[in-house]
Amino acid sequence: MNDLQAVLWVARKDLLQEARSKAVTVATVFFSAVTLGVLAFAFGENPLLMREGAMGALWVALAFAGVISAAQSWQADLEDGALEALLTSPVPRAAVYLGKLLANWGLMTALGVLLLPIAAGLYGARLGAAWPPLLAVIAAGTLGFALIAVFYAGLTANLRARESLLPVLMFPVVVPILLAAVRASNALVGSGDLGLAWAWLRLLVGFDLVYAVVCLVLFRFVVEA
Amino acid sequence: MVAAVTRAARTTLAGTPNVAAVELRGLVHGYGGPPVLAGIDLDVAVGRVVALHGPNGAGKTTLLRLLATRLRPVRGHARVLGHDVVRQAHEVRARIAALPVYGGAYGALSGRENLRLAVALRGGDPASPRIDDALARVGLTGVADHLVRAYSSGMRKRLALARLTLADAPLWLLDEPYAALDEEGQALVDTLIAGARDAGRTVLVASHDLPRSLVTADAVVEIAGGQLRVIARPGRPPAPLEARA
Repeated sequence: MNDLQAVLWVARKDLLQEARSKAVTVATVFFSAVTLGVLAFAFGENPLLMREGAMGALWVALAFAGVISAAQSWQADLEDGALEALLTSPVPRAAVYLGKLLANWGLMTALGVLLLPIAAGLYGARLGAAWPPLLAVIAAGTLGFALIAVFYAGLTANLRARESLLPVLMFPVVVPILLAAVRASNALVGSGDLGLAWAWLRLLVGFDLVYAVVCLVLFRFVVEA
Repeated sequence: MVAAVTRAARTTLAGTPNVAAVELRGLVHGYGGPPVLAGIDLDVAVGRVVALHGPNGAGKTTLLRLLATRLRPVRGHARVLGHDVVRQAHEVRARIAALPVYGGAYGALSGRENLRLAVALRGGDPASPRIDDALARVGLTGVADHLVRAYSSGMRKRLALARLTLADAPLWLLDEPYAALDEEGQALVDTLIAGARDAGRTVLVASHDLPRSLVTADAVVEIAGGQLRVIARPGRPPAPLEARA
């Protein structure tokens, strides 16, 4: 088997489990909907404030949902020694990481695509022609988030206090991703300044590349005892 | 403090290549307190079945996990078929099949899906009819497409045995293979071990069932106080087995 096939088998395994349990889907959709609703309520009835805060609220909802998704992605592996069996397979550690990343990124991107029109409608933001570049920002932003979330979720998977440690460890690292994603999204929806949006998107992709290299190199130390 | 190597067991089989299936030298591992393995030496020749005995916490699972590359030795080294478990971990993993004590299957996948995943990750054909054969051999054909979360612990262990047979690995590392199994299942384990030996595989079995080990194993090694001691050599003529202190 080549490494790409191993990546796809690990991702398939995670997605198949999620399709059956729906643990991540139910938790993240519910949590995101509550977050968007509460923030809309907090902004009050100022339409300008609502419009300007739409993309920020979207990314806050995605970020918190992403933590739930990442933590769940390792849960099934911890049951009945399944992770032990997976890690004694002759598969590169990077393939395990990329497989889990692919599944997690897919779920987060799907959530982002689902939440985008909901946030726009709830906050009165007009997407118009910004749809396609916004999808690119969501894809790049959720990729950066998933890169870090899956890495740190793996790091804390065997710890007793993993639920509390995971956000504490990963949020400081993920801040650049979130800032770039919010700025790029706001530039597209608010001012429609494509040049500014493109600059932030390039920065976002740059962060993704840096985090991808670092996480791939370090992941084997995360899962080695 | 590293305990001195006080005992070692060396198994050699006349006519086999010089490379041992398992070679431990001064192996030390612990979890913060006194070392669980305090500088052990062990050679196991290819094709041998060695049973590991010892009380709970003696280090049987630790030793198997070190050989499976899931733990790193604090000191000393371990080799599997000539490959170092730290520096050549990937090569080692390609040569071992491990049976974890809890089975190691995903509950949200069916038995067949678990085996297809395991076969695919070892580079095999996930559509191979060997998967059906393995399921039949362990008596799970009728529930092959049921989710593993609905399996009993004995059925999960049987599924793990099926995965083991599909691995085609020259070294088997079995952690409590008899646990949770009924009489028929335990007999199946014995049959699989005997078949593995006949096929030239090497098997390390951690078990509390000493009477059974005396029947199935070529050597029974006790782990206690961080040291190894050969306590029985029941299965083969004594000449190929040499214990050295």
